[in-house]
Amino acid sequence: MALDLAKFGKAVALPLGVCAAVAAGSVSAREPYTKEELAKQEQKLIASVDRGSALWHGARADMSNNGLACGNCHPDGAAANPQTFPKFMPMMDKVVAFRDMVNWCIENPQGGKPLDVNSPDMVALEAYAFYLHRGEKIEPGLATRQTVPVAVKSGMGYPRKPTGVGYDTK
Amino acid sequence: MADLEDMDRRRFLSFTGKAGLSTLVAQAIGVNLGMIDIVHAQNGNRKVIPFRFAMISDSHLYSIADHKFDKHLEDAVVMVNNLNPAPDFVLFGGDVAQNGTEDQLVKGKKILSKLKMPMKVIPGEHDWYLDMGNAWRGLYGDETWSFDHKGVHFIGMNSILVKDFWTPAGLTPKQRMEAMEMLEGPIGGPWGVHEKQLEWLRKDVAKVSADTPVVIFTHSPLWDYYPRWNFQTSDAPEIRKILSKFKNVMSFHGHVHQTVFNRIGNMSSVGALSTSWPWPYPPVTLPYPQSQMYRADPANEQDGMGIQFADMAAGGGIARFQGFEEAMPPFLANGIKMGGGKTDGA
Repeated sequence: MALDLAKFGKAVALPLGVCAAVAAGSVSAREPYTKEELAKQEQKLIASVDRGSALWHGARADMSNNGLACGNCHPDGAAANPQTFPKFMPMMDKVVAFRDMVNWCIENPQGGKPLDVNSPDMVALEAYAFYLHRGEKIEPGLATRQTVPVAVKSGMGYPRKPTGVGYDTK
Repeated sequence: MADLEDMDRRRFLSFTGKAGLSTLVAQAIGVNLGMIDIVHAQNGNRKVIPFRFAMISDSHLYSIADHKFDKHLEDAVVMVNNLNPAPDFVLFGGDVAQNGTEDQLVKGKKILSKLKMPMKVIPGEHDWYLDMGNAWRGLYGDETWSFDHKGVHFIGMNSILVKDFWTPAGLTPKQRMEAMEMLEGPIGGPWGVHEKQLEWLRKDVAKVSADTPVVIFTHSPLWDYYPRWNFQTSDAPEIRKILSKFKNVMSFHGHVHQTVFNRIGNMSSVGALSTSWPWPYPPVTLPYPQSQMYRADPANEQDGMGIQFADMAAGGGIARFQGFEEAMPPFLANGIKMGGGKTDGA
């Protein structure tokens, strides 16, 4: 049910001072996170992205019965287009979330067992795909639209422990 | 002899008519045949007898029995065998195997042996880095070669060589292979043909006359398309310099799993469809965006894959794609004109 603000004209039009007081009181329920806390959160996120990258490139055998992984068709996450979901996918004949598309690819081209959509591994696959598309415009779209993949500059596209091996060790 | 050649040309035209090519292609071939006659008139000893060759690429066979990619490669062989006019020979553009194992390379050879015509092969990185090409060489022969066919000089080179990253890191052959298998894997670095093959190329073309059309086959493109995915060959500028004396150089490459076209100077270049899976277009502006195929439908197992063939004549050739699924954008359905003089491509 939509809230009709016009009906509450009087109540909304509070004096400026009250507004400021309400705003100040609701800015934060707690102190802002410290740098250390934020670093820990970032670490947790990147760990999930890293797990997602491993899964994307075939780390879990039950995700495929034919050797194919997400990365076969989607290098650097290209053409996975997480930022265009939810969208209508003709093969499922409905509007689906990105995780449903991931499971469709696992079950069909890869012939594997779909993941529990609430599992940490599904979140990790989402973390990887979305991390590689950060900054892209969120644009729920049509299935046939050709989107431009992200340009990954180095390494695997996210901060990780330097490998020290080969050409690009980032 | 001259009569035989003329008959070859007439038969060729009649065949292409029956094959139902579009007006545009017929006109383009007509132009090329017109150029043959001009070349004949000006230079009696330089003759190109029109012919066709086909290209199959990137089958990425797995060790699993009855894998769907086995069927894809078999379908490609049937398509090539049914081309009319028949190609004189077939090129396989590399990556016959996925993990470079001998059983995968053997399986590929077995399927490709059903081709009715001779085949020439070059290696891809997936064929190579488990045993540094030992099994591949035993089954498919030299990775660097050239031959002359009906007035055209053909060259094949191994473009997937990288600097040794495995010895300093103490990697096993399997780890080395895995590092090279991932398209976006950052370990291997940029590929090239390296100095030994450049020296071979210099010698190979030294005695070939400048008006001979040249076709060069490599796994990776001979231009900087998208280096991160090795859609490049690091010493391509040297290759283009060595081949700069020729009026018309046509480069055909695999690796990109998509239709793509470019021209730089005297070199036109065409990328091949795979028989395994299509790759997305990378985040760069294409010099010829009209050479982009439609986005593949993942619900259609063979969409965005197929074979290609080229009809050669003096002055150039027409490259055409034949997808497992029929739909191709107009530019591709009509065929890409190769050659026709120097341009200022990207």
